[in-house]
Amino acid sequence: MEKEDQLFDGQPVIEFQTARDRRQFLKYAGMIGVGGTLALTGVACAEDGAAPTGVAGDKSDDPMDESSVPQGDLDILNYALTLEFLEADFYKQGVDSGVLKGRELDLIKPIAEHEAAHVSTLSSTISDLGGEPVAEPNFKYPAPTFKDKAAFLKTASTFEELGVKAYHGQVTMIKTPDILGAAASIAGVESRHAAVLARLLGGNPFPAPVEGTLSMDEVLKAATPFIKS
Amino acid sequence: MERRAFLKGTAAVIPTTVGLQMLMSRGTAFAQGSDFKDDVEVLNYALTLEYLESEFYRQGNGANLLSGTEAGYLEQVGADEDAHVAAITKTIEDVGGKPVAAPKVDFGEAFADRASFLKTAHTFENLGVGAYLGAAGFIKEPAILQAAAGIFGVEARHAALVGDLLGLEPEGGVYMGATETPQTKDDVLKAAKPFLK
Repeated sequence: MEKEDQLFDGQPVIEFQTARDRRQFLKYAGMIGVGGTLALTGVACAEDGAAPTGVAGDKSDDPMDESSVPQGDLDILNYALTLEFLEADFYKQGVDSGVLKGRELDLIKPIAEHEAAHVSTLSSTISDLGGEPVAEPNFKYPAPTFKDKAAFLKTASTFEELGVKAYHGQVTMIKTPDILGAAASIAGVESRHAAVLARLLGGNPFPAPVEGTLSMDEVLKAATPFIKS
Repeated sequence: MERRAFLKGTAAVIPTTVGLQMLMSRGTAFAQGSDFKDDVEVLNYALTLEYLESEFYRQGNGANLLSGTEAGYLEQVGADEDAHVAAITKTIEDVGGKPVAAPKVDFGEAFADRASFLKTAHTFENLGVGAYLGAAGFIKEPAILQAAAGIFGVEARHAALVGDLLGLEPEGGVYMGATETPQTKDDVLKAAKPFLK
């Protein structure tokens, strides 16, 4: 967690389009039962005055079709979508920046394409299942992010490791087998990205024999620096 | 014997309706109910594949085909597979099952040179990724599912890295698309068969 916590020196990079999207992102922590223990909830509530009271109390907020898919699964998909939005935007800017060359660029271009594909697949899946995909937040990165190759790769690596753990943290939370299969098929690709970026950085592509997990609140804590109110 | 146990029941059980390709399609089950009768069967299937990989890297790393950082990576991959064997064996025992024994293996000319070692490794790793994803839907116990998913991700790391060491095309060599593709038990066993004695 230390590494994630220090990303961008705590400067915010995510700006949600609407209070609703931001609230939805922030409330996930409440959904998994940690309630008000999260430092992040304080940040959320202070801004828009709507406590993330958990999914039960919030349902009226987000009208859903009658569906066999549990609300919790749709919330997990929206959580994943938010993280994929961040990655997709990050890599698009990285590829466009010209900071990467040769094999490095060749290895990272497909990552950008994958993240964009994950965004569109998750969005359409949420819609198909009767849910409402969150809108894309605005992202603001500190100035050196796309000017310095090492900084870019380091941030990319951190995002990938965070993404891998975020997906693995939801494995036992997802109730619908098809959604679990879909999430797993994306998570495996994030693992590939993580390994490649570790190699590009001269780090360890295989930090553990089994992927680690982070709960939503842990991921949100790591993401806190990116959230601009 | 072990091989027979491993292959048992694979001849006719895969229904034609197994829709494993389009995970995102609504109503498409990512696994069907007849491949594995319980979690122990899934675990023993995984264990056999892990045994295969573990022995493959033991022999391959022992053949001194690699050097430097590359050798270090493959040592780590081999250590991961050993850890998977140990973890799956323990899990099977913990749930009261009986772990299959290590299969007898024959890797043919795989260790002739660096390229054939890495190419075969690349094949095994991608096979492992597809196998885990294809079997995940059969797992009932959440803790076992969590562990299997965690191993699956690491196999994907191995596959990507070995693909990169081989200098393969990023898409289709290092990465296999925006989503991983599951494989049926039938297809996995068919692919593994040449290496099992």
